[in-house]
Amino acid sequence: MDVLDLARTQFAVTGSLHFLFVVLTLGLAPLVAIMHTRWALSGGPPHEGMTRFWGQVYVINYALGIVTGLVMEFQFGLAWSGLSHYAGDVFGAPLAMETLVAFFLESTFLGLWIFGWGRLPKWAHVACIWLVTLTAYASAFFIMVANSFLQNPAGAVVSGGRMHLTDFAALLTNEALLFSFPHVVGAGLFTGGMVLVGASAYRLWRRAPEFAFFARSLRLGVVTAAIGIVVTMAFGYAQFGAVPEGKFGGHNPAAGIALGLMIQFGQLLGLVVLFVMLPMIAILPRARWTHPVLIAMTPLPFVLSILGWMAREIGRQPWMIWERLTVADAMSPGLTAGMVTASLIGFTAVLGLLAVVDYVLIVRVIRRGPSAVQLGAAADEPRTPALSY
Amino acid sequence: MEVIWFVVFAVLLTGYFALEGFDLGVGLLLPVLGRSRLNRDRMVAAMAPYVLANEVWLVAVAGTMFGVYPLLEGEILFGLYPLVVAMLLCWVLRDAGLWFRRRIDGSAWRGLWDGAIAFGSLGLSVGWGMALYAAATGFTASPVHPVGLMLGVVVTLLFAFHGWTFLGWRTPGLFGVTRSGRVLAVSGLVAALPVLGVLAGAAPYLLEHSAPPATLNVLSVMVLPVAPIMVGAQIWVWRTFRPGKDASRLPSFF
Repeated sequence: MDVLDLARTQFAVTGSLHFLFVVLTLGLAPLVAIMHTRWALSGGPPHEGMTRFWGQVYVINYALGIVTGLVMEFQFGLAWSGLSHYAGDVFGAPLAMETLVAFFLESTFLGLWIFGWGRLPKWAHVACIWLVTLTAYASAFFIMVANSFLQNPAGAVVSGGRMHLTDFAALLTNEALLFSFPHVVGAGLFTGGMVLVGASAYRLWRRAPEFAFFARSLRLGVVTAAIGIVVTMAFGYAQFGAVPEGKFGGHNPAAGIALGLMIQFGQLLGLVVLFVMLPMIAILPRARWTHPVLIAMTPLPFVLSILGWMAREIGRQPWMIWERLTVADAMSPGLTAGMVTASLIGFTAVLGLLAVVDYVLIVRVIRRGPSAVQLGAAADEPRTPALSY
Repeated sequence: MEVIWFVVFAVLLTGYFALEGFDLGVGLLLPVLGRSRLNRDRMVAAMAPYVLANEVWLVAVAGTMFGVYPLLEGEILFGLYPLVVAMLLCWVLRDAGLWFRRRIDGSAWRGLWDGAIAFGSLGLSVGWGMALYAAATGFTASPVHPVGLMLGVVVTLLFAFHGWTFLGWRTPGLFGVTRSGRVLAVSGLVAALPVLGVLAGAAPYLLEHSAPPATLNVLSVMVLPVAPIMVGAQIWVWRTFRPGKDASRLPSFF
């Protein structure tokens, strides 16, 4: 591989790892916020248990979202300084807003939510998780603004060999953005819903003592997944109106294959969710024969999400900015294969290993069940022997 | 407009050193003061509620650099490629250590991630000293220079002292010292002195290389109205987790 392939591989590996965790964050954040609100309204134990159990899954998943995101942000300057040189005046604005406005607040409010258990007033605590959700979606929006500019450079002109921002509103109403942002939101909800379904099915299959808890979670998951898949499919097909000619054509077979696979399997999964799982929603918790199938379906939304990004990003090749700047020209001048090889190995090894550990920890939370949850554990709460000091 | 955005950039970078400085300091002191498992738990619990609100200042610095100094962003990060990659990996390991250390309850597991916190904090602190040296020379000298390494040691010691002061403020007496909020503010300022020096020297150069007015205007319209909310959220964190009898309450999530 030459240095360009290595730098692209590095971005693809870290970006894919990042999105695996981001897509679940986007799906789980509103669900946990709804659970927390219902807990605050009812004061009842089932909702408190759900908030803490699914909240713990959410925050463990979030850890990898943060650390992979850090690497993403700095990679632009490390390997793709040609992009900031040529279009930084345009591309930098949404990226700056994502970090300054959205992620800054998201991280601050998440810290308040995690460590505010027992310290914050009830409704202030609920407000924190809703603010985390709101800023997470704002983050996703600004990142999609930046990405859509690469797909379709609207709102900017080229003069003196650099791009200049002329119309910020055009960045926000980019035709490459209008349908892709809801598509990503739908995919997040679908993924969050399917994780609730899969994990609840596992607990029910193992005859966990908390039947009502997981029956309720499973139904919430099915409804969320159904809403998510409808939004994803509707705004997925709607995007074809804005696809430039040749994007999935002959010179990018990988993009076409990824797109085809995503549509085929996405449709199939959509049919299963809408026409099998949704009508059976009332009997699913007791229909034990369905549980292994529901568990096995859990990884599929993640695979589909990565396929979707592959179609969008490989389809953009060889352009970094569509018909303006090639990826070869966007690469940092002077970057050597040795430098990228070393960082690629470092990032892949460390982030890959941490990702595996993170998934093992999430599975462990689900296997141990709500009684062993650490999030929001009070100091005087009796602890299970395995957890005591 | 260039001046406003230089001030924003300077405040964010200085704030990162003054705030994340004590998190890294506590991480550095983990093997020194945290000889028992209980003490390590207390040290991490003391800083845990602040970490997410503190480390994000550097994320904001990087975003501001991209938006306000697009021509310098690539140059600086690319110019320090191996150092930036190493610092990122240290940051990742430190964060992973915090999130993972209490997820499984075995001595080996805890030891592994406590080690990751200490190692990551050390790497980041030394890396910052080296990066500041390279910045002070206008990125003409390699950061791996005796002076760069010396500055790395200085920053590490400043962070460790700041972390110790923080522990004395939030958990009075537990780690040998009791410190007031005023002393903590002073040690934060001291921890930020090296970066303040570099910023003062670089100010004219940064002002010259700001993004054009159209970009700065968009950033101002979008970001500045949110600034009070950002400040308010940070104040909320400090009010919620101020020292008290449950300051090092266990179990803490981290």
